[in-house]
Amino acid sequence: MADNLPSEFDVVVIGTGLPESIIAAACSRSGQRVLHVDSRSYYGGNWASFSFSGLLSWLKEHQENSDIVNECPLWQEKILENEESIALSRKDKTIQHVEVFCYASQDLHEDVEEAGALQKNHASVTSANSTEAAHSACLPAEDQSLSTASCEIPTEQTPSSDPESALEVNDFEATGEKEIHCDDKTCVPSTSEKETSENVPMAEDTAEQPKKNRITYSQIIKEGRRFNIDLVSKLLYSRGLLIDLLIKSNVSRYAEFKNITRILAFREGRVEQVPCSRADVFNSKQLTMVEKRMLMKFLTFCMEYEEHPDEYKAYEEITFSEYLKTQKLTPNLQYFVLHSIAMTSETASSTIDGLKATKNFLHCLGRYGNTPFLFPLYGQGELPQCFCRMCAVFGGIYCLRHLVQCLVVDKESGKCKAIIDQFGQRIISKHFLVEDSYFSENTCSHVQYRQISRAVLITDRSVLKTDSDQQISILTVPAEEPGAFAVRVIELCSSTMTCMKGTYLVHLTCTTSKTAREDLEPVVQKLFTPYTEKEIENEEVEKPRLLWALYFNMRDSSDVSRNSYNDLPSNVYVCSGPDCALGNDNAVKQAEALFQQICPNEDFCPPPPNPEDIILDGDSLQPEASESSAIPEANSETPRESANLRNPEEPSK
Amino acid sequence: MMAIRELKVCLLGDTGVGKSSIVCRFVQDHFDHNISPTIGASFMTKTVPCGNELHKFLIWDTAGQERFHSLAPMYYRGSAAAVIVYDITKQDSFHTLKKWVKELKEHGPENIVMAIAGNKCDLSDIREVPLKDAKEYAESIGAVVVETSAKNAINIEELFQGIRQNCLENGLRKLCTALWRTQIGGSSSCRNPSSLHVCPVSG
Repeated sequence: MADNLPSEFDVVVIGTGLPESIIAAACSRSGQRVLHVDSRSYYGGNWASFSFSGLLSWLKEHQENSDIVNECPLWQEKILENEESIALSRKDKTIQHVEVFCYASQDLHEDVEEAGALQKNHASVTSANSTEAAHSACLPAEDQSLSTASCEIPTEQTPSSDPESALEVNDFEATGEKEIHCDDKTCVPSTSEKETSENVPMAEDTAEQPKKNRITYSQIIKEGRRFNIDLVSKLLYSRGLLIDLLIKSNVSRYAEFKNITRILAFREGRVEQVPCSRADVFNSKQLTMVEKRMLMKFLTFCMEYEEHPDEYKAYEEITFSEYLKTQKLTPNLQYFVLHSIAMTSETASSTIDGLKATKNFLHCLGRYGNTPFLFPLYGQGELPQCFCRMCAVFGGIYCLRHLVQCLVVDKESGKCKAIIDQFGQRIISKHFLVEDSYFSENTCSHVQYRQISRAVLITDRSVLKTDSDQQISILTVPAEEPGAFAVRVIELCSSTMTCMKGTYLVHLTCTTSKTAREDLEPVVQKLFTPYTEKEIENEEVEKPRLLWALYFNMRDSSDVSRNSYNDLPSNVYVCSGPDCALGNDNAVKQAEALFQQICPNEDFCPPPPNPEDIILDGDSLQPEASESSAIPEANSETPRESANLRNPEEPSK
Repeated sequence: MMAIRELKVCLLGDTGVGKSSIVCRFVQDHFDHNISPTIGASFMTKTVPCGNELHKFLIWDTAGQERFHSLAPMYYRGSAAAVIVYDITKQDSFHTLKKWVKELKEHGPENIVMAIAGNKCDLSDIREVPLKDAKEYAESIGAVVVETSAKNAINIEELFQGIRQNCLENGLRKLCTALWRTQIGGSSSCRNPSSLHVCPVSG
C-alpha cells in the first residue's frame, strides 16, 4: 500500500511471536506508541500455526537454500557520521533438518469421473503421490523400518501449496518426480515401475476397502484449510501465567479453548489412560481398589506437601523417582506419577521438584475440566494474534512483510535511536524490541543455542480408541537411553479446529540430541504404522496409520543471557523464540520483565476500561455498547463445550 | 428467559471508508466527523429482538490492522457475516474491495454471509463508483449490496437487517446449528461443572 508508516514511535517491536506480542499489547495499553513489524507474511514467527497449504509454503521456504535477495535501497549511506549501525539478518536460520514424508495415497477414483482431467492429474499428482509410488516400488521387505521405507522429498519437489497450481504442474515437473531420492538405492523408478506401483494399491483399494475410510493426499490438500498446524506444540496450564494474563487483560475474549481430555502413558508397548482426577481414579478399571486408595492418598499429600515437611525432608537429597519408591505406591502408580503427572524423568528431578510439579498439576486440575490443560481452538498461533489485536485496539500499528534493515545507534549516547526499513525509511523510537532470529550472525556469534526436535503427523485414528473420537490427549514417552530426552506427544482431534474430520494431528516435541527425525522417529514407530502398508489382519492394524509426517529442528533461544549478544545498546531488548517447555510461563515472564524495563511502575496489561467510559463523549451511549460478552464461536464444527475463559474464578465444581 | 443468538460480524475495507462510522451509527445512532481510527473498543454489540429471540450482533472492527494489510486470521474466526465497505467517492476503494473479498475467502469461515456497503452515499454528487458496478460485482460473489450513509443514517439499519436475514437463511440451510450459537440467558458457563476434583476449588 502506498500509505507511509509514521516516522516516530515510543516502542518498535520486531517479530510477532508470543513474548513480543504480549509486550506490544502491554506497551500500547499503557499509552506507548507502538510499531509492530514482522518480516514474514504471517503472525507469530515460530509460534505460528498454518493451514496445510500454508505449511507447505513454509516448508518450501525453509528447504530452499538460495538466499532470496530483495532489492532494498542501501541503508549504509543513510547512516550519519555520528552514528553506527547494527545490521539485522535477512534470513531466518532457526529451522533446520526439515524432512517430509507422505504415506497417504492419491485417490485416483475421484479423478476418473473427470475424464478430461485424468491424464493431466495423473502426471501432476505432486511429489506426494510419487513418494508413495517410489515408496511402494522400493519396499523390499514388509518389516522395513520407516526410515528406509520413506523417501525424503527433495527441496525442489515440495508439494505444491495449493490444489489449483498442483493441477498446472506440467510434464517437465512430472519428469522431475522420477528423480525422487530413496534411501534404498535399488529404487530407480522408471515410468513403468511408477505406473505399476501406482496401480497396484489402487486395485487393492477397490477390492478391499470402502473408499470413505481412506484419507488420501488430495483430500488433505483439498481440506487443507481445516488444518491449523502449530510450529510449537504447547498447552496452557489452567492456572498458568498465560491463562492468568489472558483473563486479566481481557484478551481471552478473542479466543476459545478446549480442555485436554486425557492424560496418557505409554507402558510396555501399550497406550493407557492415566487417572488423575478423583473421578478418574475412582472410575479407573486398570487400578485395583488398593491402588486407588494408595494413589488418592499420595495425591492428597502432594496437594499440601509443604505442610508436612517431615514426610519428605529425609528424601530431599535423592531423585523424585527414588523418593516415589519409598512411598506406598505400586510400580504402576510410580510410573504414572513420575512420567504423566510430574512429567519428569528418572534422573531429572529432585524430590522437591517432583513434588512441586505434581502439586502444580493437581492445582490446575478442575479449574476448567478434568485435566490441567487447555488448548486454544485453531491452534497455539491464535494467541500472539490475540495480543496483537489488543495492541492494535489501543493504537498499535501493524505491518507484516516489513523488513527492518538495521538499527541505528547514536555514537555519543550509545543508544539505539532509529531503524531503517526496507524502503530506506528511518523510523525513530525510544525502545526497540527484537526477536532473537532477527539478529545477524555478527550479533549472535557468541550465543549458544539449544535446539528443539519437532514432528508433526497426520494420522487416521487416535493412539487410544474410546467411545468418543473427539479426544485431546497428551502422552509422555520416557527416554529409552541415557542422554536422550522424554518425548511429549500431543494428539489433537478435529474439534480443536486444527485438522480435517477423520484425521488426527499429532505433535511430538523433545529437546534435541541429534536431528529431529533421529530423536523422534523411534517414538513414531512405536505408536504408528505407515499408511501404505498392506492391511494385516492382526493387532498391528490397531495402531493409527500415518498419512503424512514432517520433522524439523527449531532453535531454542530461551535462556540465552542478554550479555551473550554482541554490542547491544541498552534500549534494545531481546525476545526469545519458543522454548521446549509444555507451558507458556517462560514467554509471559519474559514479556513482563521486559515491559517493566520499558515502562517502569506501569501495570502490566490491566483490563481495558469499560467502553462506556471511553467511547466518545456523546450522551447517547447505551449500556449495550460494551464488550462484556464472550466471543461466540459460530463455526459449524465448533464444539459446544469449548471453554470461555472470561469467568476466571467462577467455581467450577 | 429469552434465548440470545449471537452473531459475529466483521468489518473489512480500506482505511477511511467509514467502517467505524457505520458501526457507530448502528450501535449508538451517533456520528462523529472526527472519529479517531481507534478508540479502544475491540468490538461493539447491539441486541435486536426478533420474535421470541434476541439477536445479538458482535461487531468487530479492524482496529487499524487493515492499514498495512496485516489483518490477523483470528479476526475472521467464527464470523457469521462480513461487511465489506467501500467509499462511493473513491474508485480505488472499490477496486480494493475485491482484494478484501479474496482475503476473506482465504481466511474466513466457509459460508460466510457477505454484505457490501457503498458508504458516503450522502456525497453522491462527487460519486466515482456507479451503483450498477457494485450491484454486478455483488451478484457475482453472491453478496448483499447496499449504499449507505453513516453520516445521514441511510440504509444502516437495512444493511444489518439484510445480514441478519441472510444469516438466518444460511443457518436454516444448515439445520439452524451452523452459524448461530444459542446462549440461554446469556451466560456461557464453564464446562464440566459436575466432575470430581482432586484439588479443592478455590474462589
